[in-house]
Amino acid sequence: MASAANMNAVRETMDVLLEISRLLNTGLDMESLSICVRLCEQGINPEALSSVIKELRKAADTLKASENSAS
Amino acid sequence: MTLLFYVACSIVTLNCVSAEVAHQFQYAVRVIGSNYAPTIERDEFLVSEKIKKEFLKQRREADAALFSELHRKLQTQGVLKHRWSILYLLLSLCEDPRKPSRGASYGALFAQALPRDAHSTPFYCARPQSLSLSHPERSGLAQNPNSMGTSGVSSLGMYSLNGTTTAPQFLLAGHQTAGESFRQPLGSRLAWNLPPTASHFSAPTSRGPLLPITPSARAALRQRRDVDSHAEIGEGALIRDILYVFQGIDGNFIKMCSQANCYTIDEKVPLSRSLRDTSNRLAELGWLHNKVRKYTDAWSLDRAFGLVGQSFCASLHQELKEYYRLLSVLHTQLQVEDEQGVNLGAESNLTLRRLLVWTYDPKVRLKTLAALVDYCQGRKGGELATSVHAYGKTGDPYMRALVQHILGLVSHPILNFLYRWIYDGELEDTYHEFFVASDPTVKTDRLWHDKYTLRKSMIPSFITMDQANKVLLIGKSINFLHQVCHDRTPPGKMPVPASKSTDSPRDAVELFTDLEGAFQGKIDAAYFDTSKYLLDVLNRNYLLLEHLQAMKRYLLLGQGDFIRHLMDLLKPELARPATTLYQHNLTGILETAVRATNAQFDSPEILKRLDVRLLEVSPGDTGWDVFSLDYHVDGPIATVFTRECMSHYLRVFNFLWRAKRMEYTLTDIWKGQMCNAKLLKNMPELSGVLHQCHILASEMVHFIHQMQYYITFEVLECSWDELWNKVQHAQDLDHIIAAHEVFLNTIITRCLLDNNNRSLLNQLRAIFDQIIEFQNAQDSLYRSGLEELQLRLQFEETKRERQEEGEWGVTAAQEAEESRHVQKFQETIPKMRSQLRILTHFYQGIVQQFLVLLMTSSDESLQFLSFRLDFNEHYKARDPRLRASLGASRGRRSSNM
Repeated sequence: MASAANMNAVRETMDVLLEISRLLNTGLDMESLSICVRLCEQGINPEALSSVIKELRKAADTLKASENSAS
Repeated sequence: MTLLFYVACSIVTLNCVSAEVAHQFQYAVRVIGSNYAPTIERDEFLVSEKIKKEFLKQRREADAALFSELHRKLQTQGVLKHRWSILYLLLSLCEDPRKPSRGASYGALFAQALPRDAHSTPFYCARPQSLSLSHPERSGLAQNPNSMGTSGVSSLGMYSLNGTTTAPQFLLAGHQTAGESFRQPLGSRLAWNLPPTASHFSAPTSRGPLLPITPSARAALRQRRDVDSHAEIGEGALIRDILYVFQGIDGNFIKMCSQANCYTIDEKVPLSRSLRDTSNRLAELGWLHNKVRKYTDAWSLDRAFGLVGQSFCASLHQELKEYYRLLSVLHTQLQVEDEQGVNLGAESNLTLRRLLVWTYDPKVRLKTLAALVDYCQGRKGGELATSVHAYGKTGDPYMRALVQHILGLVSHPILNFLYRWIYDGELEDTYHEFFVASDPTVKTDRLWHDKYTLRKSMIPSFITMDQANKVLLIGKSINFLHQVCHDRTPPGKMPVPASKSTDSPRDAVELFTDLEGAFQGKIDAAYFDTSKYLLDVLNRNYLLLEHLQAMKRYLLLGQGDFIRHLMDLLKPELARPATTLYQHNLTGILETAVRATNAQFDSPEILKRLDVRLLEVSPGDTGWDVFSLDYHVDGPIATVFTRECMSHYLRVFNFLWRAKRMEYTLTDIWKGQMCNAKLLKNMPELSGVLHQCHILASEMVHFIHQMQYYITFEVLECSWDELWNKVQHAQDLDHIIAAHEVFLNTIITRCLLDNNNRSLLNQLRAIFDQIIEFQNAQDSLYRSGLEELQLRLQFEETKRERQEEGEWGVTAAQEAEESRHVQKFQETIPKMRSQLRILTHFYQGIVQQFLVLLMTSSDESLQFLSFRLDFNEHYKARDPRLRASLGASRGRRSSNM
């Protein structure tokens, strides 16, 4: 019961966070958001994480662009 | 966690080659893994506020309300431990929805962010792009939220800048050196470690592997730095040290090195070269501060240093106070940072580089001050002002303003001295700083000449010598009026300009910089008024000009009738030996002479000063040698007629008196000749001798007449006219004194009384002596002649009486005796003749010698005198030397021309 209530709370929290994320237009989906939340809970530096995410996105874009131009 | 991360990576880089994913993952792990302390505050509230602000910026007020609702919900649940963290993450990833699609904007975004980020690298300085890019960003800080919201980190920094900084200069500096706290070490590292990549800054999109030069790479490097900093000193500690050093206090690492006389960082302290370099540069400020401080500490308590020195110290203190104010602001900033956590608002942090920029101006100031202090060491008073003024001659307007300000303060006391001096004549210069010095030992009678002098070294360079002299003269005149003339005219009557003293140091500066105008005008006006007033007082109350004229009339024998009459009256007295003369007798005679002549109409003020004076008697002197007239001077006019002047007058008077006596003597001789000529006509044996006498006498008369003419007209009257003109146009007492001295000197020189003409004067004296001797000789001649005549007349008389009685006129014995007697007389005639001849010979020899000397004299007027004396070339024909010297002098003159 306790775990069920806990799960409930977690889900609710995640919903709220997802909503905020949407409001802020962060571009994170549920999956990546949950990963990020978990990383944050582990005590990661959010600033570093955000820069890594941006970096990765950018790298992905570049890759896509190069693929497009290649094909 | 690693697994999670990998998943995250793969999700983000969806559809990508796995090798690429692995590469990115490696990189990401490195970034995250470095144990990097967050640079932001761990405050949920602050983060949420920022998020709200972000919404407001994007004009999404409804969303903001929604967010606060959600946030509240989140808080109630309490599942999450690091709520701020996730919120911050979300905020960082926030995108403006109105922006075009994210993918397309990225490249542009980073390209935009980069130049600013790498701003501090040396390679970037020359890139015009960096300028054009950073400008709109700076200016658009408030108005253009679009560009703000794009890059998370930097925009956050901007917000914190807006939110937390207080000091406006920090804001300003923050603009210019935005984000420097991280970029400075980054920049230097980039410069050293990644020189090849620098060329790619401009093209971040060209290839994948080169991408690390992006914010994340920065973060990575930043973290690496902090890993290193376990061994090195943190910049914060260094800044703290530096701030202490700025005040001249040794820090933990930076210490005063007494050998090198500068602040150095301990060699053993591990520190990167750039930091070491920068702090060394900053530490110079401490050294400069110490220097200035040492000077003010040493002198400000030394009362003997004087007012000028004190105001110099005060001005230095003022500057130091400004400097301390800056330091306290810096300290406050440091403290605020400490309290709020190290990395709040990276853009406004204190860094060494920022310090370097902010302390640039104070450094220039301190450098100037230190140079001034060096230059002014050991100087005081006007000298100090001179040194400061010398430093104001610089092309740098900033420095000039500083020096000008100090000069204003420094010269203020001097100016006060000056105004006190020229308006009140008071000298309150306890420390001998003013350029007018007073000698308290000098009595009032020498006040004008000796009491006040200029201290040449204390004349500030902005006051010319001419002005200094005038200033001296003005004050001297006032003191002279007060102390010697006892003229206590209230300042209202004395012409004192309205503006009496300067109110502020600023006035002083204006006066000293505008030398041609106001200051000069003030001094001139004061000079003119005071001098004029002084001359008025001297002329009106003390009859200076009348005294001058009296000098000429009595001491220079200008009053002819009086002198003649005096000589008449004095003649029997003066012929006696000098030891038998009594002053009171002579004074009585003098008074008689005054009453009998035109002198009686002179003002009693002058006549009562006229007196007789007997010179020191040496054995054999007659009254003629020791008699002289005297004129008593005292009080203010004694300033013009000083003791030296009076002794000059005395010498001139003696000379003139002697010459006058010769004239008088010759008149007597002539009178004798005229009277006796008839009587002695019937003594034919005497006629030859008498003729000789007449010739010699007329020779002498000619000589003395020419001498008198020369003395009266060419010497006295010419010089007098010059003097009178000068005195009439004199502007101050000094002019009169100078003119008077010139007058006296001219007279002395022309009257052959100076050292150069000593031989001439000796000759002249000899001529005078010959004249006296001739007078004696002629007197004895006439006496014996008249005696003889008397005897003969007596003989004839007795002869006639006897004949009337009817006796024999003469007996044989009587006849014989008579003829013997006549014979005897006739025998004395050749003796007389030869005596006269010797006299004539001597006289002519001396006159010739005199003429030779006159000829060779360099004075034109004396040469002309020689022409006049020998107008018919009588002496020239007799003396070959005269011919030779004439030719020589002509030759010399032609060669001169």
